Amino acid sequence: MKFKLDKKDFENFLKDLMETYDLFAPVQLTEGVSVFKKIDKPEEVNLTQLVPQKSAKEVFFPQSETMFRYEMSENQSPIVSEQKIGRERVLLGARPCDIEAIFIVEKVFIGEDYTDVYFLEKRKKTTIITLACNHPLTTCFCSSTGGGPFRKDGSDLFMIDLGESYLVELLTEKGLAFSKNRFFKEAGSKEIRLVKELEEKAAKKTDSSIPVEGIEKRLDLMVESPFWDRIHEKCIGCGTCTFLCPTCHCFDITDEATNQKGERVRNWDSCLFPIYSLETSGHNPRPTGRERTRQRLMHKFNYYPKNFGRVACVGCGRCILYCPVQFDVREAILYTSSRRTEGRKGKFK
Amino acid sequence: MKNPYLPIPMILKKARIETSDRMLRTLELTFRHPEDEEKFRYVPGQFCELSALGKGEAPFGIASSPTEKGSLKFTINKAGLVTTELHRLEEGSEIGIRGPLGNGYPIDLFQGKNLVIIGGGFAFTTLRSLIAYFLHPENRARIKGITVIYGARMPGLLLYKEELLEWEKRDDLRLVTTVDWGDKDWKGKVGLVPNVLEEAAPSAEETYAVICGPPVMIKFTFPKLMALRFPNERIFTSLEKRMKCGIGKCGRCNIGHLYVCKDGPVFSYGQLEKLPKDY
Amino acid sequence: MIQQKLREKAKELLSSKTVDLIIGYGSWTLPLRTTPVFIRAPEGVESLVWNSFCENNLTTYLHKFSRLKVGVVVKGCDARSVTALGLEKRFPNHRPLLIGIPCQRMVDRKKVKKAVKGEILQAVEQGELLLVKGEDFNVTLKREDFLYSVCQVCTHRTPLHADVLIGDPVEESPLVDLHPDVKALEGKSPEERWEFFQKEISRCIRCYACREACPMCYCSECFVDSSRPRWIEKSLSPSDLAFYHIVRAYHQTGRCTGCGACERACPMDIRLTHLTQKLNQEVKGLYGFETGIQPETLPPLSTFNPEDEQEFIK
Repeated sequence: MKFKLDKKDFENFLKDLMETYDLFAPVQLTEGVSVFKKIDKPEEVNLTQLVPQKSAKEVFFPQSETMFRYEMSENQSPIVSEQKIGRERVLLGARPCDIEAIFIVEKVFIGEDYTDVYFLEKRKKTTIITLACNHPLTTCFCSSTGGGPFRKDGSDLFMIDLGESYLVELLTEKGLAFSKNRFFKEAGSKEIRLVKELEEKAAKKTDSSIPVEGIEKRLDLMVESPFWDRIHEKCIGCGTCTFLCPTCHCFDITDEATNQKGERVRNWDSCLFPIYSLETSGHNPRPTGRERTRQRLMHKFNYYPKNFGRVACVGCGRCILYCPVQFDVREAILYTSSRRTEGRKGKFK
Repeated sequence: MKNPYLPIPMILKKARIETSDRMLRTLELTFRHPEDEEKFRYVPGQFCELSALGKGEAPFGIASSPTEKGSLKFTINKAGLVTTELHRLEEGSEIGIRGPLGNGYPIDLFQGKNLVIIGGGFAFTTLRSLIAYFLHPENRARIKGITVIYGARMPGLLLYKEELLEWEKRDDLRLVTTVDWGDKDWKGKVGLVPNVLEEAAPSAEETYAVICGPPVMIKFTFPKLMALRFPNERIFTSLEKRMKCGIGKCGRCNIGHLYVCKDGPVFSYGQLEKLPKDY
Repeated sequence: MIQQKLREKAKELLSSKTVDLIIGYGSWTLPLRTTPVFIRAPEGVESLVWNSFCENNLTTYLHKFSRLKVGVVVKGCDARSVTALGLEKRFPNHRPLLIGIPCQRMVDRKKVKKAVKGEILQAVEQGELLLVKGEDFNVTLKREDFLYSVCQVCTHRTPLHADVLIGDPVEESPLVDLHPDVKALEGKSPEERWEFFQKEISRCIRCYACREACPMCYCSECFVDSSRPRWIEKSLSPSDLAFYHIVRAYHQTGRCTGCGACERACPMDIRLTHLTQKLNQEVKGLYGFETGIQPETLPPLSTFNPEDEQEFIK
């Protein structure tokens, strides 16, 4: 079912939405910096930045989350789990790459053996309204990782910016709940045609040349390659790429307590931090940047595929855009390709 | 849906300092809720995440055997924030537990075969579970010969001393305890574990080896096992790695595509050969 | 021109085995950026560049290569970092060879991005002009309108104590005081200043890019990672964020050269140099000390002089 939503109705549409749902959408914190946040006022929603720094994974897997609270008393310490969320949620304005990434994280968190109930609860209660990318950036290589700027998979509703209005397509049962929305008008053939044009234009812009295909097998042969000795040199070991990456999902668990009361909290962690794998005995299986950079790239392009059948990268380009030293994952992938022995711009010597 | 991150409450029934340096303490925990005890089924080699609420959680191998009903035993090495708290807690305190986690030793593979168990220092905890399991009358007939070689740096640092004395008296297992340096009371063997293994020279035919110990011991013992013709698929070890969630979600403990908490901690050397040296 | 001389010098240093490794800037995949390059073979010097996008402080890498003889390309601020690190005894084996290039002041890429509408596909320097091209635009900007704020007030653009100087020393600007933005903040009330600070760091995601980009942050155990005692939690609570940034700033007192690497590394555009500029000004006022200028003078917070200003500890 396809509808048209005029931009002049957009704020009211959001206001309506917020009566029933908790709305999560991109918010501009300062010019050039956007994150996904819970919206208090509809005016906060800002869809101008194609790749917000923090991705939509924040909505299902917050950077900082209380897992349970406890209070020690005479006889026992009742533990109160914090897994339930209040209202149903709507995630609006995430791009297809971020939505693809949710599925990648989901495969780990919702397993056959154990289920991360915190993630599951939010996942079940969220309606996803994805926004298509009319103008992908040159750093976008979603089409190399099996995605695309107009890819609808995983969305409940799919929005396309037509200039003066949005085209909204309802895709799932959750989406159909919006079919009677009072701001949705009938979409005409003009709109449908415009969508097709935009889609074709966008498809040409994303980079499909990055050789992600077959990288798992190529990396199998490279576990001890001297490639790792060089590639890690410029990485300074911060957590920018891991925290901004929509598929990275490592976390740390700590207790925060004062006397008898406290909570167990989980926070995002990064495999690039030196103490990430440091054992109490002092032994660190990944003592230098070489092992840690290898771990990050192998996890994304070799270990995760072995377990789940696809690479854990959606080609969003955040790590390229925001890395302080311009580490470019595309060059690393190219280097592993048998077709090229050097990256496009330089050599990994 | 069950929240796998919530610990269940246990009571610290008995605590005992095991070693002369006072760094190892064995905790015997009982279940606060009987229904939790009924649901708790484990095999030797599995581990649990023990919670000292307010300080944190840490993984420990289960030292008791599933044949020892009514309580669980863990031996804690005092090394950091959580372990210091676990040493401090008095009998009667409550400790949280999540488990049983991990894959455990491949008991089924050992059926009808001989077993050589090699332990060093305080890595002996899950080996105790394995030995006690097979020494139990219900299970003893399931495997053939049991050889145990256990070494510590000094006599005072041996774990489970009373049990070792009892086991030495048995004729259905061959136990050799050794120390790197003896003292005036020590009447037993003095020698490094790899050398004692060479002397004892168990046959590799129809035999599985299980080895747990500090990296330096494994480094020198493993070649001796190779010299005795043990194939990699029949040598098992229990790996340690920094862990947090214990259920394969937080990503921390991976070796290659396998997680030590979920696909391990017990691995065969045949498996480890194919993985990056990330441990 | 400077670029060519730089490549020639680098080739000479590598061929003569004066150094084993040269750390410099190379061009890479995105416009307005360079990337650190690590060159070991003389032929590799062709990847070295010099332009207004050489914004990283490369001296932060020196600790990774302490066993090698390293030559590092430095601007004025970076060279002062090496002097400061030397005083802290960070070079037990080989002192790094400084390849100094008098700095023309670096371009603030985030500022340029805000001045255009759309993705920047190409940016070319032409003298004092910056030609910026996108899919729908082609603009010419004046380079001097788009410099980093710390660069605008820099008084040490010529690298001091450089072993090799590529290009002629520049005439230093007279001391200007704080950058106008920082001066404006200074003029506000304490409540307004605290509000500004809280708002800036509320964006912080604890990625530690600032800490890692900074050459003076080299502790093997940073205070944020200590568990006994646990000074700070890993979450994003306002108190944790404030604690981290304030303590890190204070750990830099008397050691910071004001290079701005922290602010440039931050993915959330937190204006950290507002803090560092003010701190450096205070240190200059109280102790007459500027980091990395005198190679023999110890930093004021690691020494005590009976003549030290003591107003604040009465």
